[in-house]
Amino acid sequence: MSDGGGESGSKHQQPHTKRKFSGDDFSQAIAKVAVAQICERVGFQTFQQSALGKLADIAVRYINSVGKAANFYANLSGRAEGNVFDIFQGLEDLGLDQGFSGASDINHCLASSGIVRELIQYANEATDVPFAYAIPHFPVVKDRKPKSSFLQIGEEPPIEDIPAWLPAFPDPQTYFESPSQNERASDSYTEKIELGKQQRKMEMSMVNLQRQFSESGPSSFVHGDSSKEKKTVESNPFLSAPLHFEEKEVSSVVLPAKLSKEVALQNPVAKKHVVDNHISVMETFAPALEAMKNRFCESREEQKNIQLDQRPPVQFKIGVGKKSLVKPLKSSPQNMDGGKIDPWFCKENENDERKGDLKIF
Amino acid sequence: MNHNNNFQQSSDGRHDDDAALTEFLSSLMGYTPTIPDELVEHYLAKSGFQCPDVRLNCCLCFCRIRLVAVATQKFVAEVATDALQQCKARQAAVVKDKRDKQQKDKRLILTMEDLSKALREYGVNVKHQEYFADNPSTGMDPASKEE
Repeated sequence: MSDGGGESGSKHQQPHTKRKFSGDDFSQAIAKVAVAQICERVGFQTFQQSALGKLADIAVRYINSVGKAANFYANLSGRAEGNVFDIFQGLEDLGLDQGFSGASDINHCLASSGIVRELIQYANEATDVPFAYAIPHFPVVKDRKPKSSFLQIGEEPPIEDIPAWLPAFPDPQTYFESPSQNERASDSYTEKIELGKQQRKMEMSMVNLQRQFSESGPSSFVHGDSSKEKKTVESNPFLSAPLHFEEKEVSSVVLPAKLSKEVALQNPVAKKHVVDNHISVMETFAPALEAMKNRFCESREEQKNIQLDQRPPVQFKIGVGKKSLVKPLKSSPQNMDGGKIDPWFCKENENDERKGDLKIF
Repeated sequence: MNHNNNFQQSSDGRHDDDAALTEFLSSLMGYTPTIPDELVEHYLAKSGFQCPDVRLNCCLCFCRIRLVAVATQKFVAEVATDALQQCKARQAAVVKDKRDKQQKDKRLILTMEDLSKALREYGVNVKHQEYFADNPSTGMDPASKEE
């Protein structure tokens, strides 16, 4: 038997999802095989997967409903175990949809019901086609090995109050930590630290290479970096003891170095930008270098000096400031709108008003 | 007299029925239905139908399980026969239209359409999805797709 291809025209790959097996899969598969065998005997040559699955599911439901009905009739008669006549009554209930001879006769004897006759007829006519596979008895119940008690082991329970017929405690080795395990753990920790050190060394050497490629600039830069490199190797800030509160002054938020550099260099001589490529390269690398210095350097004074040197004259209102500078030149001769004397202040008022609105809200 | 005769006849009738039944049940032992016993036993146990241990080769219990197995087999066979008739009718209709061509597909395929039609008579409503789409916007207008 092969599957019919009538489901979908296009062949698309099914996604590789992990298939979850439920407990019922085995019996469902057996039911599919059995139903397929029956259908083959009836005359079908191929099946659609979904159709076969559906029919097998319905056959399983049929068995379930027969069992349910038979159990119900047995209980109704005051019995716990069902017998053949209960099954006949169950079959009658299910066969009422199709109808059978003698269905309207409520007082008929079960042995002479139409269902039984049809069943006998079918059994006599149908040829014997046994199931294709040999099935073990399922579901398989695992034998549970009970834990041995104190008595069985021959031990005495550690505490007096524990009776000897209770299961014994597990071996202490299973839950105590052995010293060898701790050593192994500490070894891995030191290994990790060494790995980290090596990585940082590699990073520093990469940065040095970059600086050397830039070539230009004061040699003091290079020397300064080498001295700092030594410092970093000796005192790794990540391995040092944690600082207490207020032991170290934490700086306020600083403008990114790139922006500050540009503003500072706007006013001084323009010839710096013109020809010398090295300087521009240095400038591009300088912020990165300074960032690295800020991370690894421990002396705060140098950082403060750098900050003071590069503090920009204009703070955060670059766009707004330009507009305000331009407007009074234009509007003062005209004075079209009565209220606009000093738009600079007006804008601030507007901002305040907006802020005020926000506050009220 | 008549009453006695009637009684006798009915008792004979009953006796015949009983005889047929006992004969049938005993013949079940020799008849192996296609649906295996283990499967039927599993699902009967699931639904609550108590059965004593089959492994003890209890004849009565065997009878019950075999009975249910034969009944289920009969049911499935009936449904399959109806589906087969539907399939053949469809193929005959196609062949009727185009008699020039040879008989199209001689293979008989159990399809969802035939199965759902056959099962409808038994009170089982089987509805099948026409198709499955990859994502929610399949088959929609390109304008609404952009949205």
